[in-house]
Amino acid sequence: MSAATNRPGVDQRSVEVDFPVDDFGGAGEALGTMTISDEVALGENQRLMTLNMGPQHPSTHGVLRVLLKLDGEVITDCDPVIGYLHRGTEKLGESHRYAQLIPWTDRTDYVAAPMNNLGCVLAIEKLVDVTSPERAQYWRVIMSELARIASHLVWLGTHALDIGALSMSLYCFRERELIMDIFETFCGARLTTNMMEIGGFSRPIPDILPGMVRDFCNVFPSRQQEYVDVLSANPIWIARTKGIGIISPEAAISYSLTGACLRGSGINYDIRKAMPYLVYDRLDFEVPLGTHGDTFDRYLVRMEEMRQARKIILQCLDQCEKMDTPLMAYESPYVIPPHKGTMTTAEDMQRHFIWVIKGFNPPVGEAYAAVEHPKGENGYYFVSDGDAMPYRWRIRSPDFVNLGVLPHLAQGAMLADVVALIGTIDIVLGSVDR
Amino acid sequence: MGLIDDRYDKNVFITSLDFLFNWARRSSLWWLQFGLACCAIEMISASMGRFDLAERFGMLYRASPRQADLMIIAGTVTKKMAPVVRTLYDQMGEPKWVLSMGSCANVGGPYDTYAVVQGVDQVIPVDIYVPGCPPTPEALYYGILELQNKVIKYETMARKQGVDAAERMRLAEREAAMAAVHG
Amino acid sequence: MTDPTTPAVVAAEHSLAALAADPWARELYFADDVELHPGLRELRAAMPDSIVDVVRFRDETTIHVRREDFREVCGFLRDHPQVAFNFLTDETAVDMLHLRESPRFDVVALLYSLSNRVRLRIKAGCDDGDAVPSLVPLWNGANWLEREAYDMFGIIFAGHPNLRRILLADDWDEGHPLRKDYPLRGWRPFPVFNTDRPVGRVRTRWTGRENV
Repeated sequence: MSAATNRPGVDQRSVEVDFPVDDFGGAGEALGTMTISDEVALGENQRLMTLNMGPQHPSTHGVLRVLLKLDGEVITDCDPVIGYLHRGTEKLGESHRYAQLIPWTDRTDYVAAPMNNLGCVLAIEKLVDVTSPERAQYWRVIMSELARIASHLVWLGTHALDIGALSMSLYCFRERELIMDIFETFCGARLTTNMMEIGGFSRPIPDILPGMVRDFCNVFPSRQQEYVDVLSANPIWIARTKGIGIISPEAAISYSLTGACLRGSGINYDIRKAMPYLVYDRLDFEVPLGTHGDTFDRYLVRMEEMRQARKIILQCLDQCEKMDTPLMAYESPYVIPPHKGTMTTAEDMQRHFIWVIKGFNPPVGEAYAAVEHPKGENGYYFVSDGDAMPYRWRIRSPDFVNLGVLPHLAQGAMLADVVALIGTIDIVLGSVDR
Repeated sequence: MGLIDDRYDKNVFITSLDFLFNWARRSSLWWLQFGLACCAIEMISASMGRFDLAERFGMLYRASPRQADLMIIAGTVTKKMAPVVRTLYDQMGEPKWVLSMGSCANVGGPYDTYAVVQGVDQVIPVDIYVPGCPPTPEALYYGILELQNKVIKYETMARKQGVDAAERMRLAEREAAMAAVHG
Repeated sequence: MTDPTTPAVVAAEHSLAALAADPWARELYFADDVELHPGLRELRAAMPDSIVDVVRFRDETTIHVRREDFREVCGFLRDHPQVAFNFLTDETAVDMLHLRESPRFDVVALLYSLSNRVRLRIKAGCDDGDAVPSLVPLWNGANWLEREAYDMFGIIFAGHPNLRRILLADDWDEGHPLRKDYPLRGWRPFPVFNTDRPVGRVRTRWTGRENV
């Protein structure tokens, strides 16, 4: 338990603004412009300075605001203020039907949208007891592993950019565009894909898609070697990451960390191995673990995860090319009827109409399903009362829980390391605030 | 550049400088580096290698509102964030332009909830709306080009002394010219 | 008498055989008979009065416990050497307003065992204003999760070091949005700012070209 979170708020100076803050619907915090300092007298020669960082600071990866209490350059206290992107996604879900929820999951963690879709549809499929066909499962794995690479590329680019290596972001986004092309070919959207559906995929796989994925897998190792060449032996990078932000294994468990933050500390918990979903139990891949639990180890873990993701994609592609089976579990009443059938047969058209207008009524119960998101465990928890709309929709986002460790990490760190610490936790504010 | 072509059509000095200034402004719109949600990722993509928004249009992102001409509202504006957006807008120097990127910033998008402002135009005046969820970098291009067309159509010298003063000055000059002609 | 060759009976016999062989076998956690669940078995032996109800749906086990014993139950399961539910995956709440009379809320803790690789859900019912024992003394990760539950549902956690709003603004005075009686669009409309331009704009009189 860090001292930072024990205190009822860090004191802050209010700012004169020329609009009515008090009449404003709840959002009274008008701070957040540039640095606002507030000196608190402690004793004869001691002074603590309160520093406000964000919510529009370029290195906070969005709208995170961090209040820091500084003794010279050393941080004595840190209080992350989140919620600047709280959009009420969970409340929205309670008034919409199950199939309508999937587009909102895209917008929680928007750098790895297919992964969020996957977690949500897996939870719904568990609730209604539907299993998607094997070929669809392989394609789901391919898409989610591509999303993992895309997410790690954004992480690497922005993390290195914060620490001072501008060129890395140009390199990383170059490869990310290739993945965006694959997504765009498949579903028409680059970022918010809305790709997976209950029961599989209702869109056909374009003929050129396997070739595109294979091309990407062919070029990616050499491109990744470029990142390694730029960073891994770079003295500045090593000085800024080695020994910074050390998380002990006990602290990692106590703070409920998941993903690379947990595995960087040496705890072997990867849902793909621990509780395999889809076809992960048939695939050959390894889970990288760190030893020191510092920022550099987490960098190595994520780099290795990208290599393993490429390996998984290639294995899945080999399997997919042998199959010519449907992509959707059409026999179940809970999935959307085939498009061709709705155009030609009366039964399918009626079913489609009911499915779209009224939705389906799952059994009464609760279901939780989690996927190994690039950032950690992304879980979706549904409470169903038998209605067509979920009674409660809970998104267990990895970023929100992982960010809770920031006060613990920042305590005693230097001011310049805060951006490295925020970067190494790998947050996306849409997922933190939901 | 067209300075010479039309020099006798109008008030030579003022209008030409207007054009010159607007032309320079249009070609070097520096935008405030400030992303809110999903659209920010597309904005970053647009400024990276493939789309190269920054280099092609003379644009550059600045972290300080004091140095920025353009504010791209890239993402959902929540009720908690709205005062911050307003403060940033107020801190930008004139002339300033606002581009609302994406459905959330335009009208609230898919988030019609207790926490979200239904359109950033309830907080600050907006010049260009770019639809999409999120808009592709190409759509952002189109918005920027439309904004450039808009930037060049406004007077800037007049703003030095205020609109009313400019109008009074124009009328006085006109009176003087009429007097000179009619003797 | 049921047919001894049906899959359910075979599975039950298999579970009993596993119980005889190893009382901590992983398949017991997923056995059809929920009473074979080692966590529940140990909990029944140690704190029989705490358990209110046990629910099994799909492969997920939910144990409803008394509100006062919420922390003790979680602490017992965490510190048990074999069961070892030592990882707090999630903590949240559900507003049961439309589903039952009382208690109104369910506080839900989702535990995970790193060694056995199983999940277990612990639920404690509480009414509006009742204090639920906080899990922060057990897991630091519960800190923000409980702050979120307080923010969204107004549930009070006794023993939480810093219970204040986290997602909504500190001075949000419109209640707790994820309650069922809270409207989706909130109680108050957004007070629109003054959106006149600080400095007016004049269209240029330069009309030589339209599309430059």
